[in-house]
Amino acid sequence: MVAIDEPAANPFSFAECFIVPKPTGKTAANLRELLQTLREVNERVLYYHLWQFRMAIASPAVEYPNDFAIWAATAAQESRLAEKFSAIDPFGYENWEEVREALIDVMEEYLWDLPYITWVRPGYEFYFCEAATVVLRSRVTAQTLPEFCAAIGKVGLDSIYYHSIDARWRLRSIHLDDFSNWIKVSYGLPELVAAIQGIDISFYTLDEIRTTIVDLCTKHLDHLHGQAQRT
Amino acid sequence: MDKLSELEPIVGQDVIYQLRGLAERLGRQRLVHVNSTRMGGGVAEILQQIIPIWNELGVEARWEVIEGDQSFFEVTKAMHNALQGLKSSISPTMLKHYEEVNHTNAARLDLNADFVVVNDPQPAFLIQHMRPRARRWIWRCHIDVSRPDRRIWRFLRTVVSTYDASIFSMPNFAQNLPHPQYLIYPSIDPLSEKNRELSPEEIQSVLDRLGVERDKPIVLQVSRFDSFKDPLGVIQAFRMVRRHTPCKLVLAGGEATDDPEGPRIFAEVQEAAQGEPDIQILLLPSESHHEINALQRAADIIVQKSTREGFGLTVTEAMWKGKPVIGGAAGGIVLQLRDYYTGFLVHSPEGCAYRIRYLLHHPEMAHRMGIVAKEFVLRHFLITRNVRDYLTLMLLCDNPESQTIEL
Repeated sequence: MVAIDEPAANPFSFAECFIVPKPTGKTAANLRELLQTLREVNERVLYYHLWQFRMAIASPAVEYPNDFAIWAATAAQESRLAEKFSAIDPFGYENWEEVREALIDVMEEYLWDLPYITWVRPGYEFYFCEAATVVLRSRVTAQTLPEFCAAIGKVGLDSIYYHSIDARWRLRSIHLDDFSNWIKVSYGLPELVAAIQGIDISFYTLDEIRTTIVDLCTKHLDHLHGQAQRT
Repeated sequence: MDKLSELEPIVGQDVIYQLRGLAERLGRQRLVHVNSTRMGGGVAEILQQIIPIWNELGVEARWEVIEGDQSFFEVTKAMHNALQGLKSSISPTMLKHYEEVNHTNAARLDLNADFVVVNDPQPAFLIQHMRPRARRWIWRCHIDVSRPDRRIWRFLRTVVSTYDASIFSMPNFAQNLPHPQYLIYPSIDPLSEKNRELSPEEIQSVLDRLGVERDKPIVLQVSRFDSFKDPLGVIQAFRMVRRHTPCKLVLAGGEATDDPEGPRIFAEVQEAAQGEPDIQILLLPSESHHEINALQRAADIIVQKSTREGFGLTVTEAMWKGKPVIGGAAGGIVLQLRDYYTGFLVHSPEGCAYRIRYLLHHPEMAHRMGIVAKEFVLRHFLITRNVRDYLTLMLLCDNPESQTIEL
């Protein structure tokens, strides 16, 4: 561990992440079809609709955290199901099959009690997509915590997505994202690490995630500098 | 000043850096876009705007246009309608003529490149005669092919299948094809004559020239005179609104050289508006971008009541100007207008009338909706996002089997 103004042993290297959605051609026009297709599609489709869609097109207000909940509420007019889908936290599972099982379980239970299945209007079907991704190493790196804080305010939202949302899946075994992991490994700072890791990304747009991280880091740095001056 | 530098204060420095970074990774590539008209319609506009950006990024880009006679464009218009779901009566002779015109153009066009992007069905058969001239052939479909006429799609599918990839504007337009299909949303250019900021004097000068008075709130629809844009439904909605609230309707339409159906629909619209002094119909030349811009900025409410729509760039333009938009729940309009947030979606002339009345009586809601709409366009539907997606796709095209490429 080093002091916050000292260079970290390994600088934080920002990545840029670009996705192009790929429609699979599979659709669901009612809840049974959604359930059936959820059983069949590959994991990349789940990945896309659970959080990657936020890179493709993000609603101006985060009402529901994943595409399945959004569709259940708006197209299928099943708000209760939308609430149940919203409660699924994909980052809490070990692997894709567990995530799939959780989705299927919610649907089976919901359908069990449903007296009849309605069809959505034409044009409002669920269109299953996946995405192709290009990840580039950015020129932006941060050697120290103040540099890191300044860089987060400048990099693209795709970097914020990659390091704070996508990373939660990649680092699910240690329950961290790229940002909090780097701070932990380089500087310790358990309070800041816990605060960043505690951001509930379900309720924040990418812009809001960026602002929240910058605010947390700035406050923490100010606090630590204040402490240093007093001693 | 180059175009990317002018875009930077609007989209942000990070976005421009990203484009430069992606283009650098891609290296020097030759790219040719092909379509069927240099003027009129959303595709020609996108191409006009995107070509200078490609060249600034170091991609050697050109734009080729196929030529055809009147009967060729009649076939392609019928084909366009059939692909959007209208029953067609296209004879085998007409299809043969369509193929022949493509063949003739193949002898004339220079498509030597790394990537050729063929826009829409008109030039789709060029690949049959020119395949070896380019490394990758991409078919870019801008139209709503969610429920195409089976016979015409089967005809077109034989040739589209030979491309290396297809691009659609909406996931429900995707088809059963043997190659990767990608989703790229179209875009607008905030610097273009149609979208740049205008002074109040510039706006007033256009209104004076076109004879549009601002004595009542203006409801505007800008679109070609095309049955899928439902101008007659807009007039019907307007008549319903007028029973309750005073306002005026302006229907402004451009001409496209590849649309022979326009004059007939225009005549029908004129007939429907007869005897109504508060309906103004403006048939504007295809290059009237400045006039369209001023009309959109002067309008109080903008309508795009399409029944079928590829994407609906007029909706994007209106949103970018911070206007409240009411759109038909069709194609890409559904993607842009998030009901109650960025606009209103409607399903009938009655629904359209009802929402117009609502917005006329709630200007504060109209204002708030316009602000959210503009922000939404800034994030997702500006030209820089379109260029970024193409750059990403070109990187992906050489690795079609990989889902993730790390560079």
